[in-house]
Amino acid sequence: MRSKFLHEMYITFRIAHKDLLDFSKAKMLLVTFTVMPIMLMSLFGFMFPQAGTSNPFSGKVSSPYKNVPMALVVEDSGSFALLVADQFKEIASSTGLLEVQDFASFGAAKERIVAGGLRGVVVIPGGFTEAFNSRRQAAVLITMDDTNPTMASIIYGEASSIFMMISSRLGASLISKMESSADLSFLSEPISVERRNLVSSTTNTFQFLAPGFMALTVVTGTLSGLAAAIAREKEQGTMDGMIVAPIPRYAIVIGKTLAQTARGMIQAGVILGISILFFGVKIYGSPFLMVLTMLLGVTSFAGIGIIATSIAPEQETAMMMMMLLQFPMMFLSGVVLPIEQLPNWLQSIGKMLPLYYAADALRKVIVLSASFTDILLDVIVLIVYAAVTLGVAIPVFQKAMSR
Amino acid sequence: MEPVIETQELTKRFGGLTAVDHINLSVLKGEVFGFLGPNGAGKTTAIRMLTTLSEPSEGTATVGGYDIVTQAEQVRRIIGLVAEKLIVYPRLSAVENLMFFGELYGLSRRQLKDRVENLLRMVQLEQFRDMPVGGYSSGMRQRVNIVRGLLHDPEILFMDEPTALLDPQSIRFVRDLIKDLNHDGKTIVLTTHIMEEADELSHRIGIIDHGKIIAVDTPAGLKSKIGCETLEEVFLELTGRALRDSASNRVPMRIVMGRI
Repeated sequence: MRSKFLHEMYITFRIAHKDLLDFSKAKMLLVTFTVMPIMLMSLFGFMFPQAGTSNPFSGKVSSPYKNVPMALVVEDSGSFALLVADQFKEIASSTGLLEVQDFASFGAAKERIVAGGLRGVVVIPGGFTEAFNSRRQAAVLITMDDTNPTMASIIYGEASSIFMMISSRLGASLISKMESSADLSFLSEPISVERRNLVSSTTNTFQFLAPGFMALTVVTGTLSGLAAAIAREKEQGTMDGMIVAPIPRYAIVIGKTLAQTARGMIQAGVILGISILFFGVKIYGSPFLMVLTMLLGVTSFAGIGIIATSIAPEQETAMMMMMLLQFPMMFLSGVVLPIEQLPNWLQSIGKMLPLYYAADALRKVIVLSASFTDILLDVIVLIVYAAVTLGVAIPVFQKAMSR
Repeated sequence: MEPVIETQELTKRFGGLTAVDHINLSVLKGEVFGFLGPNGAGKTTAIRMLTTLSEPSEGTATVGGYDIVTQAEQVRRIIGLVAEKLIVYPRLSAVENLMFFGELYGLSRRQLKDRVENLLRMVQLEQFRDMPVGGYSSGMRQRVNIVRGLLHDPEILFMDEPTALLDPQSIRFVRDLIKDLNHDGKTIVLTTHIMEEADELSHRIGIIDHGKIIAVDTPAGLKSKIGCETLEEVFLELTGRALRDSASNRVPMRIVMGRI
């Protein structure tokens, strides 16, 4: 005779097993389930590239955008204006950053931007040569296609850094006429900056994105999976089959959560695999801590998912409620963008969400090889979250199921 | 015969709507109790309370001597449910479905294997045992749904419209099965909208309308008391001819289409 507790544990696992068996038979769902994280990683990886890593001075260029079509309008016919225009074109094409096209007027270039052939216009205005000759700063005007602000700001940065380079070379040669003994590169750049990373390799965007996405996928996958699974069983009537059986309610809740967690972990595994294989992500920390963090992330959310699903009248509402929870979470928890980019009040909201702590811990473990004590705060927050929400969720579920 | 189900002022309210209104009912051991009523009269809600799926707002009931609220777990062990919404996972096969639900009743896998085989043979589904239930016909699916309720050999079986949407062959099969189960000693609470079915199968009939029990008797007793030939006439006499959920009388088609 098995003890009551062991039997209940067995039933819990049996419910999880049934859910996974059911899931494994939905072929289309399985395909979507695998493609989803691949798509997320690729999309976000390219959508939010790291700006400012290009340095035309050293010939190092790592812009995500190559040969961007740009117009050049030279409104000044002075010799200096023509010289700067030529240098600009030369550097732009040798670095492969911009594909410069000559335009007669700003108006013509503007029309082409609107029509969609150009990303921006560089104007060397009238009086440019005259200003230089009379030893005043000569200004170049850059206009960008602002329909894609992220892209616009990156390309603007690149175009202006080409002019900075021309400008500082000029400056250097002007100074060297006065101080002929000095090194030209010293004159143009007396202070130089080099980047040294915390771990011995170059960081890339994916190193930031991968842990965040793993946390996000596990958490939202579990959350919406749980919502869908409970709501579907309620609607199709099979939930009654479980409730009418002599088993405790918590076995249903925990069993279903376990099944969804297993699904989430598989998805996280897919993300990690892809990140390592295709995006050059490296794991520096302990795989055990990684799994632990993800499991905690899931449990911290399961309760919220169960509460929402219990009160939702049907599947569609349950799914929408989950979307409502997930979408802001994605941006506020520092998964896609670093949370520091947000205004203070939004940061404080983000820091109330458990996903922030899960992503933070996971990132520290994967990127910085953090130890258990380093992520202790995150772990405590997640455990408290899990205990409180599940503590509320089980009675709410029980109540909702006996309406 | 002793009562095996007894309700005292059993009531269920949803917001302002009283779905089941202070019903007092007893079902006797070993009988087939036909539970009849128009759509929305409160049959399903009453059955949900008796099967512990829903908690009463007021009143109590005992099933097999156990209180449906305080001794829900004991009630669950002795009842079987054949719900109107079929309790089957469409992606799983008949065997997978039955093994899962059987294990919820604490039956061992070894014990279950034989029982599932025998039950599937009983409802003539053994050659489809490994096919996903979603691919079954309505009749086949209902047969799985019925044996699902029999896995733990319950004393009392609740069957909510077990013949709805079935073809005549399947209906015959299910009715014969109900008689068999009753001969085997099971108490059966049956709801149906087919009056001849209720007449054929039930020892006693209870009619519920607007949440209240309006008549309880044997089919013959009801017919002679009301003075009608058939149970259908009795039913219409007691519950009225007006469509449920509508305030007005039926408007003829020629008027609806403006042909008059």
